Amino acid sequence: MNPEYVVMIVNLVIWTGIFLYLWRTDKAVKKLKQEIEELHLTEKLD
Amino acid sequence: MSKLWKIILYIGLSLIIIGAFVWAPLEPKILKEYTRIFYFHVPVAWICVLFFLIAAYYSFQFLRTKDLLYDAYAKISNELGILFAILATVTGSIWAKVTWGSFWNWDPRETSIFILLLIYGAYFSLRSAVEQEDRRARLAAVYSLLAFVTVPFFVFVVPRIYFSLHPDPVINTQGKIHLELRQRVVFFSSLIFHTVLYLWLFQMRKTQVKLQMILRLYKENKMLEE
Repeated sequence: MNPEYVVMIVNLVIWTGIFLYLWRTDKAVKKLKQEIEELHLTEKLD
Repeated sequence: MSKLWKIILYIGLSLIIIGAFVWAPLEPKILKEYTRIFYFHVPVAWICVLFFLIAAYYSFQFLRTKDLLYDAYAKISNELGILFAILATVTGSIWAKVTWGSFWNWDPRETSIFILLLIYGAYFSLRSAVEQEDRRARLAAVYSLLAFVTVPFFVFVVPRIYFSLHPDPVINTQGKIHLELRQRVVFFSSLIFHTVLYLWLFQMRKTQVKLQMILRLYKENKMLEE
């Protein structure tokens, strides 16, 4: 296989990993925000 | 940020990676194989400047309103700014190795980013040196505003005053962008999608900081009640 394609695939894998990490973190933050909103501590939110 | 935007971001940046490797032509004279770094190095440097600008804006907002939330926003913006400045330095350094033969040459561009890293590094030293919250926020806000004044000078002015090996003045002697159509498409798409990534990162960190502050206030109130 052309080494350029190998580097491209490695880049795509790294980007996918970063994206999935950010997605999961974002989901966790949103869940926490929802839980705090349910506790009526939302004066400072939005 | 909505799910749709995140999916667009993922597909967009994936297509930019593919475009940079297999679609956009290489610059044949100076950069050759290493043209590709350009599609990532410049957007990363752009995001770094954007973060520092937003940090200066929130520092100003803090000084105007004395709301500690703005101080927290300025802090996270500077944190992310310094992270992207390091990424720009690392990608630039790799580029320097392949085009100039060594990772670090003390070229005006490299020297200016190094000084910028020191200036913003000092911002965090200052924050950790002051214990009193209000005082720390006030000093950090003033410092952040002053630090941002140096950003245009170090990023745009210094490398243009002195002769630099950096491809920007070498390729664009007339100050024009000499890129082929496909190179332009990949480059400007990369700038746009990196900006979307910036918006997502910053929004996420802002929400985190807000939640931290709410929980802290809640704990403090609860302790007072007890």
